[in-house]
Amino acid sequence: MKFSVNWLREFVELPASLDELAELLTMAGVEIEGVEKRGANFDNVVVAQIKASEQHPNADRLSVCQVDDGSGQARQIVCGAKNYKASDKVPLALPGAVLVGGLKIKPSKLRGVESQGMLCSPSELGLSEESDGLLILSPEAKIGAPIGSLFPEDTIFDVEITPNRGDLLSHFGLAREISALVGQPLRLPGAIMATGAVALQKGITISAPAECPFISFRKIDNVKIGPSPDWLRARIESMGIRSINNIVDISNFVMIELGQPTHAFDADKLKGALNVRLARDGEKFLALDGKTYALKTDDLVIADEERAVGIAGVMGGQETGVSESTKNILLEAAWFLPASVRRTARTLNLPSDASYRFERRVDPGMVLAASNRAAELMREIAGAIPAPEITTAGQLPSPPSDVSLRYEQVDDLIGVPVSPERVDETLRRFGLEQASAGAEQSSWRIPGHRFDLQRDVDLVEEILRVFGIANVPVRDRSRFTPESEADRVHDFESSLRAHLVGRGLNEVRTSKLISRKAIAREEAVELRNPLNEDHVALRRSFFSPLLDVLARNVLAGAQRVAIFELGRVFVPPGGNEERHLGIVLWGKLEPGAHWRSQDRALDYFDLKGVIESVMGPVTFKRTDQSDLVLATEIWSNEQRLGIAGQLGSAEMKAIGSTHAAWFAELNIAPQIHAAARPAFREVHRFPAVTRDIAMMVPENLAHEKIVATILTANEPLLASVELFDVFGGEQAKNFDAGKKSMAYALTYRDKTRTLTNEEITVVHAKIRERLQRELGVELRE
Amino acid sequence: MPHELEQLRDAALAEVNAASDEQALEAARVRYLGRAGSVSAWAERMKSLSKEEKPVVGKLLNEARTSVTAAIAERVERLRGEKEARELANIDISLPGTAAEAGSLHPLTQMLDRSISIFRRMGFALAEGPDVETEWHCFDALNTAPDHPARNEQDTFYLPDGRLLRTHTSTVQIRTMETAPPPIRIIAPGAAYRRDEVDATHSAQFHQIEGLYIDEKVSVADLKGTLEFFMRELFGAETQIRFRPHYFPFTEPSLEVDVKSKALRGGEQWLEMCGCGMVHPAVYEQVNRARGDNAYDPEKWSGFAFGLGMDRLAMILFGIPDIRYFAANDLRFLRQFA
Repeated sequence: MKFSVNWLREFVELPASLDELAELLTMAGVEIEGVEKRGANFDNVVVAQIKASEQHPNADRLSVCQVDDGSGQARQIVCGAKNYKASDKVPLALPGAVLVGGLKIKPSKLRGVESQGMLCSPSELGLSEESDGLLILSPEAKIGAPIGSLFPEDTIFDVEITPNRGDLLSHFGLAREISALVGQPLRLPGAIMATGAVALQKGITISAPAECPFISFRKIDNVKIGPSPDWLRARIESMGIRSINNIVDISNFVMIELGQPTHAFDADKLKGALNVRLARDGEKFLALDGKTYALKTDDLVIADEERAVGIAGVMGGQETGVSESTKNILLEAAWFLPASVRRTARTLNLPSDASYRFERRVDPGMVLAASNRAAELMREIAGAIPAPEITTAGQLPSPPSDVSLRYEQVDDLIGVPVSPERVDETLRRFGLEQASAGAEQSSWRIPGHRFDLQRDVDLVEEILRVFGIANVPVRDRSRFTPESEADRVHDFESSLRAHLVGRGLNEVRTSKLISRKAIAREEAVELRNPLNEDHVALRRSFFSPLLDVLARNVLAGAQRVAIFELGRVFVPPGGNEERHLGIVLWGKLEPGAHWRSQDRALDYFDLKGVIESVMGPVTFKRTDQSDLVLATEIWSNEQRLGIAGQLGSAEMKAIGSTHAAWFAELNIAPQIHAAARPAFREVHRFPAVTRDIAMMVPENLAHEKIVATILTANEPLLASVELFDVFGGEQAKNFDAGKKSMAYALTYRDKTRTLTNEEITVVHAKIRERLQRELGVELRE
Repeated sequence: MPHELEQLRDAALAEVNAASDEQALEAARVRYLGRAGSVSAWAERMKSLSKEEKPVVGKLLNEARTSVTAAIAERVERLRGEKEARELANIDISLPGTAAEAGSLHPLTQMLDRSISIFRRMGFALAEGPDVETEWHCFDALNTAPDHPARNEQDTFYLPDGRLLRTHTSTVQIRTMETAPPPIRIIAPGAAYRRDEVDATHSAQFHQIEGLYIDEKVSVADLKGTLEFFMRELFGAETQIRFRPHYFPFTEPSLEVDVKSKALRGGEQWLEMCGCGMVHPAVYEQVNRARGDNAYDPEKWSGFAFGLGMDRLAMILFGIPDIRYFAANDLRFLRQFA
């Protein structure tokens, strides 16, 4: 919210330095987010009236004006603007003036015509960044008056007011806070706070007392609707509010000054007695913004005998609003239930300056004061005659309950001793009164505007704000904490990530929210209230997210995409959360040119190798899956962990790639605790001997089967079997059709002695023979 | 005058030592020590020598053989060494290395890991909770009743069944207290969601680290100590830190933490880093009600909580100008963090 420093100054003496004030407020929890200088204070710039304007004889774009600068002598000015008419009042820079950017004004001749000064635009006076044409002043502006009197210098603070401090949403309220923080008295101009000789009388019905505890109306007759005087207009415009007419401007002014919204009805358009009630279901309401709203039964309205004339605390009605023809006014000032105003403003999506304040709880003490203040201003400015009495209904909410505070509690929570005297003094500054005092604790009466002070810790915060957090010492207190389940999960995932990165994969992190397009592919938990088509559901798997990343990188010209993501996916319908690992491999094994690069594409075995290296012993089984042309399941310990395979051609076409892409996704949860502790095995002391077997086999004979055949021999000396060569298919044109060559290295070893050549030869021959006999392979020498 | 054999030996040694490559050396070996070599020929001649001559010549022959063989071995070694040295000298060491391309951890993972390791050194254990939460865990238990001005349903994603995507990781405070009695000393890294237009500094899903410490007589001084240590570990010992009062429904007093450091955008301005505060007694009351006991007696226990935005931290620390880089996962971006 914006605050004018000049306005604040009316209520409290401010520190000489505004930087100091901004720092003080920020460090007290009222954050100053921006500081802006305003106003136009220039010597030799005055209000002038254009008396006549003629075309420049030698220049199409220029005019020659005769102006009255209040000196009694007409002055001739050459002017390039077109947005004025004779009798308009405009700023005139006299010779000697220095404007924005150091522009010096002196008498001159423009295309042969003498000009004794310059008529100014808003930007030439620093009142706006850019402007088009002259600044047209109010007709009330006094000719010859210095321009600074119309646009006094001011500083505007942009302040973040936290939602618990509705009492700060006015200049008076912020000034009250400053007075407590700096220890300066608060000035209360009598005109504002005087409730005068106002008699209160009853005469309104409140049918919804919970939503509207209190309302007041004041009749104000004989108003003259017109433009606001310059000072009023300048004040509300400096707050970023557009000037409408004197009555509306006064209402806004009072809201910004005192924090209490008021609403002016055209009294002659109200029919019969007023009632504050809940709306009827579907009740139509034409609001001041020209739109019709359909109300619900929990919306609070002000109604006359025929219709709703205002949505309480949110917006008035168009039919009963103030217009140019309004003669008499009924001025409403009320205290509405914050939750009710909030609900209605939200459901109608109709936030207003008034609802913002009502939602955050207006000061009950200010309701009638604001009504009086507005009535007085209407008398002064609009020649109105306020009725001597205010009609009210209901009860203003009672002040907050007393809060008791143990002095020790202050020390404990802040972490440093604060003397009881200091505690008392601080609380008194904020307007709290000691209801009862004791050595260990005291009880405090809370002022009506501080509804946020409800319990002891709230008072501790007030003390901390004045004590200064910078003055609290720093303490270092550690505690021994056992490892948690989440620690184990984190460490497992970290090591998984490290392994994958070590194998050259890049970690990605995609959004857990996926697009409308993505959920066309697979069922997912959808959001009830998505904001746009990009985020409509929670990801069910890494398929779409990782494919999107692949597509984006292929489009960006990548040669190799080897990525993984580790994170949560959400299983429909309940959104059960699982931890998955997703992997995509695509493109060349070694991207880019390198003098020793291996030129081949990434394939299924690269994917399988990655999975085996991070998941330990897993097996792969063929399966069918619609999105994959080659699909395999990944199993470990009788559990299906996930799938691995090759993306279908439709996907690849969509990505725009001719390379094959490989995708895998696994549930890692079963592996988190499966990770076995390494167990020591005796290091072999005697040498091993390796013998090879090379064979021609039918193309459809699986490696798995060959190994199984070798192992079922149960030869105790055989320590390991490694496949070291496969040759077949297109590469092997001189082989018999349907054959491939496979070569294995068999390692023999005994734990207790060195083996002899003869005994290895015997065992090796037995295995060779078994392969021939059982698989019919053709052994090669 | 030396014996003929001695002359032969010296000639052989000279030839061996003059051999410029292994081929020449082999030729010399064959010429002298080969089956038909001139030294070997003396072995034949031995048979016809007299008894007196035999031992003399035998000794000379042996000596000649040994010394020539040794010379050949030495020469071979030397020639090989020289050859290798020549080859090594010819290697172009300016050729690029052949290490396989390394992968990379996502910058947010790096940011999280770094932060987690700092808190672990202070004795915090990890904790977690679900992304899909109940309204109670996300709002009510955190002292944000339905009509509370800070409870903004407009900015919250809901599921059709009325559950929501947590708007902050503070839900893990509640999850942890529900199941474990005090003392508590945890951090909870995780995702949070905001129903807001996406721009350079806002994304629909972002990352936080939540912290919670509940113990006897925990105070603002402990909160300051913990977060100041964290910020200085992260941004350097010179980092300036200030705490400002703020407002959150679930802490009282509530604070915001700003830091200023040369390492951060030149240290020109205060940068907002973290929201924190002393856990509000109303939160303990809600938790106790859910637990059905008085484990979190506000008279006995007090504590602090904080929430750190990881995306923003990473952006500031790495100088990343737009939050959307994180979810786009362009490899040209990711590889910068290898």
